[in-house]
Amino acid sequence: MAEVRITGLHKRYGAFHAVRGIDLDIRDGEFTVLVGPSGCGKSTLLRTIAGLEESSEGTIEIGGEVVNDFRPRDRDVAMVFQDYALYPHMNVAKNIGFGLKARKMPKPEVDARVAEAARMLGITPLLGRFPRQLSGGQRQRVAIGRAIVRNPRIFLFDEPLSNLDAQLRDEMRGEIKRLHQDIATTMIYVTHDQIEAMTLADRIVLMRDGMIEQQGAPLDLFERPASTFVAGFLGSPRMSFLPGTLTLDGSAAAIRLSEALLPVAPGRSLNGAIDGQAVLLGLRPEHLTRAHAATPAQGTFRYDATIDLLQPTGSRSYATFRLAGAPVMAELQAHDVSRPGERLPIDINMNRASIFDAKTERAI
Amino acid sequence: MQPTATISRLKAAGAPPRLSGFAQWADRHFKWLLVAPAVLLILALSVYPLLFSLVVSFINYDFQVPGHAFVGLKNFERVVFDPVARWSLWLTAWLSGISVAIEFVLGLLVALTMVRSFPGRGVIMSILIVPLFISPVIVGQAWTLLLQRPFGPTNYILTQLLGQEVTIGWMTESPWLYFSLIIADVWQWTPFMFVILLAGLTAIPPNLYEAAELDGVNAWQAFWAITLPHLAPMMLLALTFRLLDAIRMFDTIFIMTGGGPGTRTYTASYYLYTVGFTQFHLSQATAGSWLFLIFTALVVMLLVRRLLKTEPV
Repeated sequence: MAEVRITGLHKRYGAFHAVRGIDLDIRDGEFTVLVGPSGCGKSTLLRTIAGLEESSEGTIEIGGEVVNDFRPRDRDVAMVFQDYALYPHMNVAKNIGFGLKARKMPKPEVDARVAEAARMLGITPLLGRFPRQLSGGQRQRVAIGRAIVRNPRIFLFDEPLSNLDAQLRDEMRGEIKRLHQDIATTMIYVTHDQIEAMTLADRIVLMRDGMIEQQGAPLDLFERPASTFVAGFLGSPRMSFLPGTLTLDGSAAAIRLSEALLPVAPGRSLNGAIDGQAVLLGLRPEHLTRAHAATPAQGTFRYDATIDLLQPTGSRSYATFRLAGAPVMAELQAHDVSRPGERLPIDINMNRASIFDAKTERAI
Repeated sequence: MQPTATISRLKAAGAPPRLSGFAQWADRHFKWLLVAPAVLLILALSVYPLLFSLVVSFINYDFQVPGHAFVGLKNFERVVFDPVARWSLWLTAWLSGISVAIEFVLGLLVALTMVRSFPGRGVIMSILIVPLFISPVIVGQAWTLLLQRPFGPTNYILTQLLGQEVTIGWMTESPWLYFSLIIADVWQWTPFMFVILLAGLTAIPPNLYEAAELDGVNAWQAFWAITLPHLAPMMLLALTFRLLDAIRMFDTIFIMTGGGPGTRTYTASYYLYTVGFTQFHLSQATAGSWLFLIFTALVVMLLVRRLLKTEPV
């Protein structure tokens, strides 16, 4: 159990600057997810925390102790790798217990700990098998077992579910979350999958080009994205972005999208925005619904849409239409619309809409 | 609203064209035509000589004696009861065994050193594998020049180092001549071991070592738990290849000692050569070759069976 403090961390590989000045405080017991597109430096950051990569600049503290000069083994951290990194010539029990044996723990204690870890992960019947005899999900369980058996201060996960199929991934995600609830150790988890990030994290750290783009609770990032990058990365299907201009008329503000004038929710702060500013209006599919009431509710803009693409998922149907020339996706009830080409009134909830400066792409 | 792009269907391809009788026959038998040259080549250059040699080993195939009388197992008997043949087989076994063992250990050590990247690694690697490209005859000649009394520098350097006169006959005195043969072989073939073992080492996923490091496993434990089991199939492969080659050791012997003094450095190959091509007992040499083939096959069978048994990881 320990907190992690990263200050001014840089990592360079020759001319390539992979991590560019990360400052991050992770509380004891927190589940932090580092998320971002490929090559954003999230894995490098994780490996630097583990000590598998040396930092070029900056400090890493674990439990109040600067560990920059510590070898990985002396940092008391455990890591779960994407490709499991199991020892192929040892059976499951030996794989899990190898680290303890290497640290000269007496055999009865090793056995007891291995048995306990196997029980927690439901792999007791597999203890005598070899990695090649296990499925991907089982291997990942063994890899997690090898991590928890040591009872480390911090758990590091490097895209642990990426090699699993979709159904197994959902299942293992739940198990990792439960594991964190049970043992409440600090966990740092790297993924490029925004669903994993949203569902697992106490805190999401969204990275881009070696820097932190935004960090905070998952719902904070989802509902108040700091930039179009964050808004576009989190949420599936993606947020739609519509270019327009901001019109300020006394206290009432609105966004003009060529033909339509969409009122900005009253009382929404528009700090620093000026009349005529080019903006991007961000709409998430779930903020668009089929209109049922005769008149739109407060803060809602009604639009007569012609659906040109329909993607039913069973419980919901994603309908795409064009608004002021740009495609917008609406998340409708399964039976709201039956075929493309249909016209129907759509209510856009402007209270939930995001507004970004078109040039800087930062939130207004 | 923009119209959605339409995707037009491709025309149906229809049934394949009907072939004529000859075309059908050619279509069916074309594969045989393609493999025929290779099969003929193998029959002519491999199978026929092998069968012919088997025949020769049971007859008296002598240029000076007219007719090729059937002599049964006489040729084999001569080889089996020839003390030189037995000595040569024994020498072949332990000379190749010791050489290959030394090459293996050295090759492994060098491979372990070279698996990490460091400045100048490329250059050192290139220099290390140069001996592989040199003809064994040249290698033998080079070591002869280095070791031979009284012109080779070896004795001089040893004299300087030890501070007393060294006058070893590296090519003539036992046991030094064996030492000379082994050193030439080791010099030439250690790079072979090194290259194969290095390829094996680089194929081990680095994640395993990282996981081991995080587990607190020390270098020695990691070698036993990760490196050795992963490398075992490659080790066996390298040993098999090398051993097969070493038991046919001939060129360096021919150049360095000429089998001498006397028959002290006759290996199996050298013995068969001498019997066949300097004494012209071709039948006896052929019979000996067959016996040697059986002996080799036994060794190979053991190694290959073990090689095939190693399970993929």
